[in-house]
Amino acid sequence: MASPPPAPAPRHAPTHTIRALATLTPPSNSRTWQTAPHPSQPIVATACSDRSVRVYSLTSFTLLHSITGGHKRSVRSVSWKPHVQGQDVLATGSFDASAGIWRRAQHRLEREITSSTGVDDDDEEDDDEYQFACILDGHESEIKSLSWSPSGQYLATCSRDKSVWIWEELEEDNFETVAVLQEHDGDVKCVAWHPEEDMLVSASYDDTVRLYREDADDWVQVACITGHTKTVWWAEFEGSGMAKRDFRAKRLASVQQEQDSYIEELEKSGPRLATCSDDISIRIWRRKPREGAHSANDGMPSIIRSAAVDEDWYEEAVLPQAHERAVYSVSWSRRTGMIVSAGSDGKIIVYKERWKVGSGVQTEANGDTAVPDADAPLTEWVVVAELFSAHDVFEINHVVWAERADKGKREGEEVILSTGDDGEVRVWVLDEQGVEEETKKEEDASM
Amino acid sequence: MDDKQNANPTILSLSDLPSRRRESNVRRRDDGGTGLFDGLIPQYSYLNDPFEQPLSSSDSDDDSVEDIDEQEVYDLISSISDPEHPLSLGSLAVVNLPDIHIQPPSSPHSSISTVVVEITPTITHCSLATVIGLGVRTRLEQALPPRFRVDVRIKKGTHSTDEAVNKQLGDKERVAAALENGTLMGVLRKMLSTCE
Repeated sequence: MASPPPAPAPRHAPTHTIRALATLTPPSNSRTWQTAPHPSQPIVATACSDRSVRVYSLTSFTLLHSITGGHKRSVRSVSWKPHVQGQDVLATGSFDASAGIWRRAQHRLEREITSSTGVDDDDEEDDDEYQFACILDGHESEIKSLSWSPSGQYLATCSRDKSVWIWEELEEDNFETVAVLQEHDGDVKCVAWHPEEDMLVSASYDDTVRLYREDADDWVQVACITGHTKTVWWAEFEGSGMAKRDFRAKRLASVQQEQDSYIEELEKSGPRLATCSDDISIRIWRRKPREGAHSANDGMPSIIRSAAVDEDWYEEAVLPQAHERAVYSVSWSRRTGMIVSAGSDGKIIVYKERWKVGSGVQTEANGDTAVPDADAPLTEWVVVAELFSAHDVFEINHVVWAERADKGKREGEEVILSTGDDGEVRVWVLDEQGVEEETKKEEDASM
Repeated sequence: MDDKQNANPTILSLSDLPSRRRESNVRRRDDGGTGLFDGLIPQYSYLNDPFEQPLSSSDSDDDSVEDIDEQEVYDLISSISDPEHPLSLGSLAVVNLPDIHIQPPSSPHSSISTVVVEITPTITHCSLATVIGLGVRTRLEQALPPRFRVDVRIKKGTHSTDEAVNKQLGDKERVAAALENGTLMGVLRKMLSTCE
């Protein structure tokens, strides 16, 4: 088992507390697999092993809709289509090897208007529910994960049949298979999209992570990431434009220049990738910026361009190990840059990236000579919050950040949603503790 | 099953098997249902089963952490039938008491214990090893309280593809999907029918 190298600085620095806010009610009475927050509305969809999808409100924490009757086996994965006007579009992936597309008109306001003007709404009941729109058949065995691309143009699905499919919605409910990628040697556990580019990542039972993009009308593998020693359960890209956000806390005057150039380099790399595995580790991967980039579309013959499309992704960090069993899910906050993870041990862990204080433990509090050696990473990840038994004794299958939407929300606040084997989706807030102390420590260090 | 992979297995006598059955107080589902697999995901369904509420004093300490030892785990799985012989996994020495280990919670904040069972297939290339392992895992997840994590493995060196089988048995998603497969469930149901 690969374990992270011993770190000189403390890697556990609990500065936050994970506090229970609510449990979405009523819960399912069997295992729930995954919860997807809607891209713009305060609702979530939960994939359930009872073959249904449950849609809950993040405002009232109650069940709004139960989508049943579509799948013959467990629903394993759900994904909301982004940028849709006037309706909510949900894709569902099931152990029955099919994916379903469901639609519901966002007409609550409209209906109030129409009913007040006396227009009769005969099929009001039906309209209010999610309608089955179409089915995507093609996989030979269980679909494990599916994901819409950020533009909504593509839907990726993956399966135990070792393949990744990319579907394009040409017009409403008319999907075309644009790629069948068969690079993996085992079940494909997870697919996810890059937030800025049409680039797809897949994680697998074969312990690898693969990246794909379109090259001369063909989707091809552009990188194969090895490093995990067991099944990779989840992969997720960092949010767009996070490099520049100064969530790494106070800069040290003495190394300001290095830190500025670090951020500049990180921006060139673009959003990083987080993966978690049965090997208990969580790893951060980063693209090596290409020399003289932006030379892709200059009419070179495709045989040459194919080589040029390859990307070099390297391991930037291994998060401090806080889990004791398989890590099933990891999520990257689009707002704070923090990472949350959960898995078989029932723990929820939150990590934060921060500037390394000096080059090691020797640095005095006045740290004026702290100059890190050139190759040492300038940042480090620390555990800022740790919660045991978040779902009692049950395993946690999925964890994700979402915008907080209930009455008690603070400006721009997020919640953590965890989905467990107990059939429950729990909502957590992250409270900062001992703010004064922490600030003081950093001020001391930067003087 | 005309084509048995191991036509002449070694069989242990019942009296030679480790036993402490009369003292066993492990909870078992007893709701008058049709069997172990009434639900698709049977391992947790009993939590919501009103019949499981302790009616007698024997189960009154359910909320406290019960001590479950290796012998009790052995008792739960040794009576599972081999998929190709009308014999129990205990009498075929597929499951053995010394190959069962219970690891207590790793920290005072945790209440999760781990049961590790190493199974010994009767022959090194037995393709039914996965099915046997699945039966053992399913039986334990169904019968033990949910605070137990169940790790079933092939005993090292006893099987030609033990790593591949171990990986499969350790994958909760694959196990969950397998339990929704009608054919496989039929085989498992038969194997576990001797456990009551």
